[in-house]
Amino acid sequence: MEVSKPPKTANQFWPDFIKQKITLVILIQITISALAAVVLIALGVFGIDSLVLWSIILGFFAMNLASDILILVSSTRPTKELMAAIINVAGERTILTPPNPNSSRYEKSGFRDALQTIYKLSANREDAESEKSKQKLKQRLGTLIDMLDMTNCGLIAMDGKRNIIYANKSAPIKVGTDGKKVADLIFNGADTLESWLDTCVDESVHCEHTWTRVPDKLPNEEGRRLFDVIASYQKDSDIETVLTLVDRTKSYNVDEESLDFISFAAHELRGPITVIRGYLDVLDEELAEVLKDDQAELFKRLIVSSNRLSGYIDNILNTSRYDRRHLKMHLAEESVASIYDTVSDDMKLRAGAQNRLLKADIPDDLPTIAADRASISEVLGNLIDNAIKYSNEGGLVTVTAKTNGDFVDISVIDNGIGMPESVVSQLFQKFYRSHRSRETVAGSGLGLYISKAIVESHGGKISVRSEDGHGSTFTVSLPIYSTVADKLKADNNSNEGLINEGNGWIKNHSMYRS
Amino acid sequence: MTKFKTILCIEDDRFIGEMYVRTLKKAGYDIDWVVDGNDGLIAARNKAYDIILLDVMLPERRGTEILDALRGGKEDLIPRSRVIVLTNFQQDDESRMAMEKHADAYLIKAEITPRKLISVIEKLEEQK
Repeated sequence: MEVSKPPKTANQFWPDFIKQKITLVILIQITISALAAVVLIALGVFGIDSLVLWSIILGFFAMNLASDILILVSSTRPTKELMAAIINVAGERTILTPPNPNSSRYEKSGFRDALQTIYKLSANREDAESEKSKQKLKQRLGTLIDMLDMTNCGLIAMDGKRNIIYANKSAPIKVGTDGKKVADLIFNGADTLESWLDTCVDESVHCEHTWTRVPDKLPNEEGRRLFDVIASYQKDSDIETVLTLVDRTKSYNVDEESLDFISFAAHELRGPITVIRGYLDVLDEELAEVLKDDQAELFKRLIVSSNRLSGYIDNILNTSRYDRRHLKMHLAEESVASIYDTVSDDMKLRAGAQNRLLKADIPDDLPTIAADRASISEVLGNLIDNAIKYSNEGGLVTVTAKTNGDFVDISVIDNGIGMPESVVSQLFQKFYRSHRSRETVAGSGLGLYISKAIVESHGGKISVRSEDGHGSTFTVSLPIYSTVADKLKADNNSNEGLINEGNGWIKNHSMYRS
Repeated sequence: MTKFKTILCIEDDRFIGEMYVRTLKKAGYDIDWVVDGNDGLIAARNKAYDIILLDVMLPERRGTEILDALRGGKEDLIPRSRVIVLTNFQQDDESRMAMEKHADAYLIKAEITPRKLISVIEKLEEQK
């Protein structure tokens, strides 16, 4: 089988060539010397065993070989140097030293031009090639930039000094007063890009963070976009921070429009409710003497129902504001007993109207809590109202409070119908209503959802324990004021410092609220 | 302690306005009622009311603008009056802050029955 040898490269040419030629010269000289010896013996000049003969032949051989090799080396020298130059510019490895065309000996012989021509040709070729690859790179980069500009995803790259070194067309960029480019994004509350980067610089080598619903303009400004922002940080990299901005304006706008409608509708409902509740309150006093027992009872139901309606509307409004991240708490030092007092009259009336008994057992020496009074009143109202609705005729609803570590646990306990496990797990979802309550009990399915949101925005927790058929206990844990007082003072009594998730809450708290 | 006597009610909803007038009169207050923002501003400047009940969503001139005109400048033009803002619209943070800065109370109408309104007025009397 024939094995094909790989083709030889330029750097292999010279060693092989010179080896062949020297072998050839040696063979020729051996032949000539042998012929000379034969002639001399044949002519009878020397005997075959003559020492003189072999001395002459050997001397002749050595002299000829030396002169031949000298001629060979000097005559092939230009070829060798041209090869060395070519191999050098070809970039192959070789033992040959590349000739320097500026050497004086080349100048005299005119060989310099030949060498320079080789080097020049090679230099031209290199220039052309690098230009070509540059063009290619530019073309590719251009395609990449076009691609990035075509997408509606924003992309921003920043260096270690937080200078923007690249931003595609979709990225919202503005030029600050100092002429520096900055990302034009309005972060909600304290959880901003800058504050996150500050934490990254101090604590991490690599980290990532996501913000949702970040607008680039204020509400009602034209061309407002809403982004989900994903940031990646890599310490000491050329590009230290990359922001990817997903434009979610369309889907978020639909949400906002429906939330706008909901809150508008709820506000509209408040007008007539003001009048209904107002006159019921007035008439309750004025008709006290006039109404007969059963009429007084019916009148009480009117009051209870209108109060409930008002509570539902508060739940809807708070939910719409919570979903828009517009609900903020104003936390202050409050006592559980005084918050309970704000709802107890109304709740006792509700309990009485449905033949339930409401009892409170709140110790006097309970520590104060950090709470937004109006919001926690709403939470208590929701929990007590639920307990009344789901307890049995003549049943007892108890409100208790006790210290639990850094928290105060407020529990609303009923001995009513309770719930199976499957219901408990879904209880705090928006619009969730168990199949039983859907048929028998009025409600919006927002009460527990917004209660959970309110409690969590206090840095607290809401939990439930229930036994099917035997009643439920809802427990709200709120931080003891003294444990969070410093943090609150630093945040100007806003709840932002207490919430880890960074939900921006704006609570429209009233200076006086019922 | 002198009891508050005079009240100006700036409210465009007829039912709500009448309700406040009826109950507050019955409680012994002298109450004037105007239905638009311009009249409200003029009335508040012409007479030193003890209490001004101020709606926010008003024709001609909003409650925020009235309050700003009366108390937003260097000089408080109604130093003798207490202002109770009554609204069913929860304001955005900024305007709410401005309102609270200049108002003595800020109430949600649907949650304040006339009897509770009287108790708020009495609380303001105590603070005098």
